[in-house]
Order: sequence, then structure tokens, then C-alpha cells
Amino acid sequence: METIKHMRVARATTSSRIAMTLGIVVLVALVAMPWWATSGNIRWAIELCCYIAIAQMWNLLAGYAGLVSVGQQAFIGVAGYLLFVLAQNFGVNPFVAVFLSLIAPAVLAVPTYLLLRRLDGPYFAIGTWVVAEAVRLATSNIDYVNAGAGMTLRVMTQYSQHEREVAFVLLCAVLLLATIGGSYWLLRSRHGLALTAMRDNPVAAASQGVNVGRLRFCIFVAAAVGTGLAGAIYYMAQLRITPGAGFDPFWASMSIFIVMVGGIGSIEGAILGALIYFFADRLFGEFGSAYLIVLGLLTLVIALYARGGVWGLLQKLGDHPWFPVRRKLIVEE
Amino acid sequence: MQWLDAIIQGVLLGGMYAQYALGMALMFGVMRIVNIAHGDVMILLSLIAVSLAGVLPVGNIGLIVVIVPIAVGIGWALQTFILNRVVGADPLPSLIATFGLSIALQNLMLEVWSADTRSLPNSGIASESFQIGPIYVGLLPVIVLICAFVLTGGLDAVMRYTRFGRGLRAAAADTEAAAMTGVDPKRIYATATAIAVGILGLAAVFAALRATVSPSDGSAQLIYAFEAVIIGGMGSIWGAFLGSMVLGVAQAIGLRVDPGLGILFGHLVFLLVLATRPEGIMARKK
Repeated sequence: METIKHMRVARATTSSRIAMTLGIVVLVALVAMPWWATSGNIRWAIELCCYIAIAQMWNLLAGYAGLVSVGQQAFIGVAGYLLFVLAQNFGVNPFVAVFLSLIAPAVLAVPTYLLLRRLDGPYFAIGTWVVAEAVRLATSNIDYVNAGAGMTLRVMTQYSQHEREVAFVLLCAVLLLATIGGSYWLLRSRHGLALTAMRDNPVAAASQGVNVGRLRFCIFVAAAVGTGLAGAIYYMAQLRITPGAGFDPFWASMSIFIVMVGGIGSIEGAILGALIYFFADRLFGEFGSAYLIVLGLLTLVIALYARGGVWGLLQKLGDHPWFPVRRKLIVEE
Repeated sequence: MQWLDAIIQGVLLGGMYAQYALGMALMFGVMRIVNIAHGDVMILLSLIAVSLAGVLPVGNIGLIVVIVPIAVGIGWALQTFILNRVVGADPLPSLIATFGLSIALQNLMLEVWSADTRSLPNSGIASESFQIGPIYVGLLPVIVLICAFVLTGGLDAVMRYTRFGRGLRAAAADTEAAAMTGVDPKRIYATATAIAVGILGLAAVFAALRATVSPSDGSAQLIYAFEAVIIGGMGSIWGAFLGSMVLGVAQAIGLRVDPGLGILFGHLVFLLVLATRPEGIMARKK
């Protein structure tokens, strides 16, 4: 009888090593932007980073935890508002306030989940939407935050433009590391196996000992915090927030579009989708409603014929993951 | 007296919501299809009605006679060409497909009709009212409420007593088992969506008579319809009617408390029902 001498578990692939190197290069280039790029480009980069982060969080929810939310704008808005209140009304340093403002989405996510957890599928989606609308309407009625007129972040004038840009690119780097890096870390961990099992079949996963309810709760709160961080950074860069913008259902539409076009249930898909959406918006945004008609029809066609999105199509050409989460057993002679 | 007035106006508002919610009760409540484009289809039908009224001097009744068949056709096509391909245990594909359709429809309407608000020419009926004691009641809202009541009763009877209703309930409960007993689920679903959108056609004419419509109004109608169906209880046609009344009254009372709070009160009542009775007011007994 032959015995196997050496075995090892391989996780990295050639494509993942290339992707990781590229990722580090992109991150360094992002942080160095204030020294090589124009202010306009930095604004674009901030926007793109926020899109990627928000979409990645939606992907974690819808793609893995089976929680389809159309109310993530609630967390964007409350984080943005808490940041503005802390920095403008309490004089907290805005760059510290960004992180303090994450309390708001975390605190909102807990009762939201407890209220909606009994609802499955479509009910849950509608429930999150109603929560977001209720928070928007409530905010529009609170005079302390200027009701419907919104707030302006005047305290930012104490920093020079260069200082602000350096701080923003650093925040964006943290945002990407937290959302993409965090998702990747989560998916490679023990919980990642549980999540993947849940994505494929929640009932079967539960029967294998996965605590589906607790895992969903943790993912929902984590995604709320990640989405909130993106929202706080986005509105800090905008210097202005209103209930209509901060709680705009557009954020949910954008997440759905990015993740569906890119490819649901993969980290690569959300990144690809965000890049596609961002550049399509720059190139064709001027066509206004005609462009949005095409975007809507594209989403429809993908839902009907290509559920895997662009990443799913690329996967068919060859298996080259950027963020491999599978384990491969290699037997050495 | 002010509160009695609020409740009466709320019930009348609920009559309008019931017309949106009935189609939703059939599609979402019974067939479990999430149609994000529900509100946009209604707005589309309203805008078609407004444009038709400009060229066809047929009166309001004539307009309903023209619009409802168009709506039935749209519903049949929607189910046959789109929804039948995505219907299944997983609600995500139907949600995504109709979400895409909703974005496309909204912007298509913007291209064709621009962002202006429009309404059907006032033929007097919209401003007529009568007096019960000290309370004024509009004639049109009462007609809307009566129509909603009759439609609810009719739809409920169809679901209970006809071959079609039995087939639809069977197909929704277990598609494969229903197919084995000779029901064609795809055809029966197409008929059901045609009925659901047909009712929207009627609602669309009333909505354009009662107030103004513009291409971006769809999502508000959608959320009210969903809320009404869930408040009432999934699968129950009368539940959707009752849920619409609850929603209308909640909004009317909120509006009396503060003009900014009307819609918020509706949402809060919805969340309250979710927290205390998530199966809905009129959930079917197990």
C-alpha cells in the first residue's frame, strides 16, 4: 500500500498573486494621489472608492447572507448625519468624527435586524426600504439637523486643500482595506465556509451546524457599519448633506446595478461592477434618461440571461480568481 | 370631530391605495412575485390615459374602457416575456429583473412625457362633494372606494370559487404538483398578472382624475401597495383592502398632527404591525 508522504493546502494562485501585487500598487498610488493627481481626479477617486465599498457590502448581504436589502441608504444617511452633527455642532475633529459616526449605523442596524429577521426574501427587502424611508422622513422633521434644508460642514475650512486631500485618500485606503480586505478575510476564515454554505442553501447549512441566524445578524451589522463609513466619507467630501441626498434610494439602485452587472456572490464582481458603473457614468451620464434606460434594460437582461454578471462570464473563459477563497489539496510525491 | 374627519378622509384615501394594492395582493401575496415596476406601470397607464384624453373625446368611462384592455395586454406580456423566466423559490431574480424594468420605464416616461406633472382634464366630478353633518366628503373618492370594495369582493370570489382561482392557488403553493394535475402554471400566471395590471389600469385613470401624476411617482405607489399587502396579510385579498384602510387612516391622522408627518405615520404603523403581528391582520389560519 502506498502512503502519501506530503500534503499541503494551496490557496494562492498565480492570478491571485498578480491581483494582490496590483492591489498593493493601486493602494499606494491612491495614498500618493495628492502628490501626483489633480483635485478633480482625487474627487473621482473618493467617489469610486465609496461606490466599491457600498457595493461590496451589498454583495456580502445579498450575495452571501441571503439578505436582499433595498434600504442601505439608511446607514449611509445616519452615519453622514452623525458626522456632521459631531463635527459641526460639537466641535469634534471631523477626521475623528468619521470613525465615531459609525456608532449610528451600528445602533440602527440592531433594532432593524431584530424587527425584520422574521421576514424572508422579498418581505425583508421591502422592510429595509420602509425603515430607510421612515428614517429619511424623520430626519426631514428634526429641526436640530436643519430639517429638510440639510447641513453644511463649515468646519472643514480650517484645513488647507492639500491637508484635506491627504486625509481623504488615507480614509479611502482605510475604507477599501476594511470593506474589500474585511470581506476577503471573512470569506477565507471559518465563517467564510459557513457563509458560502449559506449562500448555496441556508437550510442545508443550518443542518450542518451553521448558526444561520447569528451569522446573518453579524453580517447585517458589519455591512451597515461598512456602508456607513463609505457614506460618512462621501458626504464629508461633499461638505453638505440633506435628507433627500443622504437617504436617497439611488444608493440602493446603484448597489443592485453594480453587483448584478459585476457578478453577485464574488468580491471580484463588485469591484468590476463598480468600475463599469463609474466609467459608464462618466462617459454616458450626459445622455441622462436615455443612458438610464439602457442601464435598466441591462440589469433586466442580466437577471434574465446571465445571472453571474460580467465576472461569471469571465469565469467561463478560465478560472483566474483575484481573491481565491477555495482550498486546493496538493499531494507531493 | 377633527379626528372623525381625519378617519373618514383616511378611509377614502385607503380606497385609492386599495386599487394599487389589489394587483399587488395577487402578484406578491399569492404568487410571491416581487414586482418593483408595479408603481411605474401604473404611472405609465395614467400618462397614456392623459395623452389619450387629449385626442379621444370619449369621457372618463370611455377612457376606462380603452385603458383597461391596454393594461391587461401589458400585464400578460410582462408575465409571459419577463416574469415567467425569473419566477421561482429565490425572490432575487424577479426583484432584480423588475428593478431594471422600473429604472428603464421611469426614464422612458421622462423622455416621452418630460418631468411635468399631468392630470386628466377636470370634468367636474373631481371637485364635487356632499355634506354629511359637519363633514364634507368628495364624490370622486367615494366612487373610488366603492370601486375598490366591489373589485376586492369580485377578486376574492374569483380566487375562492372559480377554476382559475383554484388553479392559481395550486400553482403558487406547489408549481410542479399543480402541473401534474393539469394546471399550466405559466399560462395561469400570465392570466393572473393580466388581471393584476388590468386593475391597475382602472386605478391609473382614477389617480389621474384625482390628482396629478409625473414619471417619478411610481416608487411611492409601490411602497404603499407593498405596505398594504403586508399589513393585511400575505395571500389574503380582503387583507390587502383592510391594510389599505389602515395605511390611509394612519397617513390622514399623521397629516393632522403635522403636515410633514403623514407618510411617516403610515410607515410607522407598518413597522408596528411587523413587530407585533408579522403575519398580518388577516393572515390565513394555518
